[in-house]
Amino acid sequence: MDAVFKALADASRRELLDRLRADNGQTLNELCACLDMTRQAVSKHLAILEDANLVATVRRGRQKLHYLNPVPIHEIGERWIGKFERGRLKALSDLKKALEEGTGE
Amino acid sequence: MIDTAKFKPKTVYVIYIAATAQKVWQALMDPAFSKHYFFGFAVDVEPKRGGCFRLLWPDGRVHVTGEVMDWSPPRRFSCSWRVEGMKDFGELPQCLVTYDIEPSGDAVKLTMTESHSWDIPRDILKGGESGWPKILSGLKSLLETGKPLAVDTKAGPSPEFMAAVKKAVAEKPWLKP
Repeated sequence: MDAVFKALADASRRELLDRLRADNGQTLNELCACLDMTRQAVSKHLAILEDANLVATVRRGRQKLHYLNPVPIHEIGERWIGKFERGRLKALSDLKKALEEGTGE
Repeated sequence: MIDTAKFKPKTVYVIYIAATAQKVWQALMDPAFSKHYFFGFAVDVEPKRGGCFRLLWPDGRVHVTGEVMDWSPPRRFSCSWRVEGMKDFGELPQCLVTYDIEPSGDAVKLTMTESHSWDIPRDILKGGESGWPKILSGLKSLLETGKPLAVDTKAGPSPEFMAAVKKAVAEKPWLKP
């Protein structure tokens, strides 16, 4: 999980993820074309994102396509938000039960 | 057999699971497992290339049908995928779903790839984009802890999704050159 937070703690890397979100499956060249970063910098950032499993790659012939992988972020959400949601849902259903049982008054 | 070369990966999701490749394969193909992480659907697959693939509702109704393209346990599974159990959706071109299972240290790297033969609108792709992380995380939870994740029963297809499907079915852009 540390690798995910470290990867996200950089504006350029977040920008790369935004670009993939808007247009998934880009090559390194395509990503470099619209960004104000050197090819080397983009390459370095992509490697960090891949290590954090935030970017998945697919080989298509000689090209390497980059895809946004939101699964690690979903897992983080599930760890904290998921638990809160379940807690809230349970609280609501408990309230409902209490109100229904109280209608005999 | 469909021409898989015409299909381009649109969604590629990766999850690491602390289990053996055999266990992950079993969980992906066995209805006893899939019920717990695949929104309650039972996977029903004929274990061979050309075999029939289905996802079934608890009452036995068919939700997804397809044909097995690649049956290579425990490393690679691929099938065509057509959603029959939702209004209009069955008229859209089928897509291709692939599971790649690779060893990764003591764990296994599972890659789910959803590929399409047409320029599928973003709003329709979002259906899979929102469903797959829950399915994969649920599978991981089940294999690693023995417990499934809570199912998000209030979620259904968004109005934008339904509108995009209706529009695509009406215009059929995949038929245009």
